[in-house]
Amino acid sequence: MCGINGIFSFHSASSMPREAELLKTRDAMRARGPDGFGSWWSTDRRCALAHRRLSILDLSDRASQPMVSEDGRLAVTFNGEIYNYPALRAELASSGVRFRTTSDTEMLLHLYARLGEAMVHRLRGMFAFAIWDGMRQGLFLARDPYGIKPLYTANDGWTFRFASQVKALLAGERVSRDPEPAGIVGFHLFGSVPEPFTLYREIRSLPAGHTQWIDAVGPREPKSFANLAALLAQGAFAPAPAAELSERVRKGVADSVRIHLLADVEVGVFLSAGVDSGALLGLMRDAGVQEIRALTLAFEEFSGTAEDESPLAARLAHRYQARHVVRQVGEQEFREDLNAILEAMDQPSIDGVNTWFVAKAAKEAGLKVALSGLGGDELLAGYPSFFELPRWRRRFGPLASVPGLGPLTRALLRALAPGFARRRPKALGVLEYAGSWAGAYLLRRGLYLPWELPQIMDPELACEGLRRLKPLRAIDGHLNPDPGSDTGRICALESANYLRNQLLRDADWAGMAHGIEIRVPLVDAELLRVLAPSIVNLTPGAGKVALARAPSLPLPDEIVARAKTGFGVPTGAWMNAAVAGTSDAVGRAPETKGLASRRWSRAVLKSASAASPAHKMQAA
Amino acid sequence: MNSQPRIFALVTEAFGGRGGIAQYNRDLMSALASSKPGWTIVILPRTAPDPVVIPSGRIEQRQARTGRVAYTMAALRVALSKPIDIVFCGHLYMAPLAAFVAWFKGAKLVIQTHGIEAWPRPSGLRQYALAAANLVLSVSRYTRSSVLGWATIAPERVVVLPNTVGADFAPGRSGLQAEWNLEGKRVLLTVGRMDKRERYKGQDRIIAAIPQLVAKGHEVAYVVIGEGDDVKRLQSLAQQTGVADRVRFAGAVGPQALIDAYRMADLFVMPSTGEGFGIAFLEAMATGTPALGLPDAGARDALAEGELGAVSSNGDLAAAIARCLDAPRQDPEALSAAVRARFGYNGFRTRVGAIFETLVQPA
Repeated sequence: MCGINGIFSFHSASSMPREAELLKTRDAMRARGPDGFGSWWSTDRRCALAHRRLSILDLSDRASQPMVSEDGRLAVTFNGEIYNYPALRAELASSGVRFRTTSDTEMLLHLYARLGEAMVHRLRGMFAFAIWDGMRQGLFLARDPYGIKPLYTANDGWTFRFASQVKALLAGERVSRDPEPAGIVGFHLFGSVPEPFTLYREIRSLPAGHTQWIDAVGPREPKSFANLAALLAQGAFAPAPAAELSERVRKGVADSVRIHLLADVEVGVFLSAGVDSGALLGLMRDAGVQEIRALTLAFEEFSGTAEDESPLAARLAHRYQARHVVRQVGEQEFREDLNAILEAMDQPSIDGVNTWFVAKAAKEAGLKVALSGLGGDELLAGYPSFFELPRWRRRFGPLASVPGLGPLTRALLRALAPGFARRRPKALGVLEYAGSWAGAYLLRRGLYLPWELPQIMDPELACEGLRRLKPLRAIDGHLNPDPGSDTGRICALESANYLRNQLLRDADWAGMAHGIEIRVPLVDAELLRVLAPSIVNLTPGAGKVALARAPSLPLPDEIVARAKTGFGVPTGAWMNAAVAGTSDAVGRAPETKGLASRRWSRAVLKSASAASPAHKMQAA
Repeated sequence: MNSQPRIFALVTEAFGGRGGIAQYNRDLMSALASSKPGWTIVILPRTAPDPVVIPSGRIEQRQARTGRVAYTMAALRVALSKPIDIVFCGHLYMAPLAAFVAWFKGAKLVIQTHGIEAWPRPSGLRQYALAAANLVLSVSRYTRSSVLGWATIAPERVVVLPNTVGADFAPGRSGLQAEWNLEGKRVLLTVGRMDKRERYKGQDRIIAAIPQLVAKGHEVAYVVIGEGDDVKRLQSLAQQTGVADRVRFAGAVGPQALIDAYRMADLFVMPSTGEGFGIAFLEAMATGTPALGLPDAGARDALAEGELGAVSSNGDLAAAIARCLDAPRQDPEALSAAVRARFGYNGFRTRVGAIFETLVQPA
């Protein structure tokens, strides 16, 4: 976890980058990189790069960034980890490359010098970086296949800027705060802002798995180098027998965990009582890690109830001989931290509170790096969506294809059963949206449905946002090429939407706020490539069973059985209580989780809007 | 695509045309012809009132067609008779026709956006045409931002190509001050059309500021160059304000008189709120005359946000003019060089070549 930023005055009419802006943007990311900082200027001073460092690999000053190649031609600012760095380093060294450091940053410079933009195909890890190429007088940007590491860009037509955070770009005071209707509408639809949009029109996310080249003409359109749907489609082309599932999962995940342990500091693990984090802990032990600290959140509300995960987590920690750290969290602490949470959220999100507290616990424990089981549900069909979406498509798809039936049914239900319509607003959209994968997915994950938006925000803004976002087309774009199976399609949809725009982004801002690098071994394109032939025929539940058996000492059966019922967290009730006193509040009245999330989302957006007082982001 | 593309330019006016858009198109086509050897250009203008002088054998300008139907027929005739690789559309009004020709010929589409025509959301057909463009050129960052406010197009496809300024606009002596009996006066100058429907250039605000300037001891005269149906109103305003003897409406002037007027002026001032770019700012500063404008719309770019010309954001125009007149005069040669470093023709030509090259590069 580091913070990167840069300014490139690419247009001959533009002024040189201002140092004050460069440093303001960089230092707005102080929490991402408390261990060091630096800046670099090109010879003609038209390009400047900056960096805030969290030291993980090669803790010496030699590895400080921005780092310049020996011949001075290249300069890099890099956020992330390249897990196959040892292999790449050995390969480069064997062909005569001389290394000055033991950091993966230097390897990026050598790899670019050798392969140019094609270097990204060789990288395994989480990364966002920018390389200045003095010979070509241009800037090369890249972001990892899943989008674990953030990278935001802003182009005003004369000057190109980038940073790890939206708020850091704004802190430089030279980027427009004009609102982006697509980002605002996207947040209402999904509970997070879907990339490439942000809340601001001038700021965009470099899409996951893309590179971008910027030279005197300006930024070119981002180019894709990795596509999750394509990996799944390749797997579907040569499906693996069901009997191979366990072995593929064991080998693939064990390998991923092993490489994710690459660090010159201690690596801990976030441990719940679920299969994903438990398997990671078991595989860390298999990888030979002797001293493991495992962190678990325990909520005061659940103490002594079946909802409390900490006793089962403690048994897991004991099973794998980890030092178990249980961190108690209560509503009082949530209220005390609420402003800091909202401040740390780079873009509004309806989630991330759990990650905030577990990262806080990691920092208190003195850790810098921790593994998280994030991504297991997307990879191994752990979500209800894996059986719900195909069922909805089967049941309602034929009716949804009848023109006009959906809106008609919705109007009838609202007129005849207004109570039901209020309590189950998304049920009204079934006959409108269940006809396509994109529609069914929106129905499953949507916080609001498009037709509800004019009731909660300025109708004109809603209309414009939908026109620019094209939500169904955007979702459908993640199914190209067709992953070849229902499980593959849902894996692609969950990975490219919910995981990318919500969970990974939350892990970034919540981890970053505490200077914690959260590593996610189950979010790895190489692992997906290995498992793709098995995902074709994966039935919900089977993947998690295979994962539970992946460690040499498998997870106990009670963990697998418990995982099916899931765990509750009280944060939803806290969030709802936190908006008490506003017109949105319902106190602690029993209600569906979805309705509570809706209220919380409006409170979060109000907070984000307060940061941009010049522009009203919601009118309702 | 053909490595030596054939370009078909649908423009309002270019060679033989008048005004800023005609100048921009001439500069663009000339730069393209000189920076890309082998590329050929056929231009179809709506009007060409002045003698047509074509600078390159690789540029052919067809006879101007004023009527909409005649213009469309002429464009379709070119499309049917000539191979076309790139369609350049010089004005958003023509974008639907240009998009059709590009689609019909399987050609790349480039659309130019200047200013006020591209700021509000245009008709559905024009929006559709623009969304189909491979490249949109905007004369300023403001125009680019406005286009991106309504267009559903990748932002990377919208590129800023500002006006350039000709080599003739350079510091030098001017005999106009004596000819126009302005000796002993500090001369303020505005160059621009005076149009009843627009009225954004701000000549009326300058006239209104003159009494305050005089009261504070500034012996100013104000020269207004340009034509338009709003001149009479401005003349009446000068009368009512009691400064008619200090305001000279010079009408349209020839190219050399324009340069001399810039050289004569102590301050070029145009408090315009609606410039697509503001070429007159560049011309003034290229002749070494300081300029003052508002930080609104495209003028921000022409004044380089205050780095080339002065930018006044407060409402007190008289005070801003007084500050500029009181400030030590910047070295005209240095100001001219600074303008050329950002907006000179050589840089413009290089940029035009590089931008159009992206259209022929493989994706």
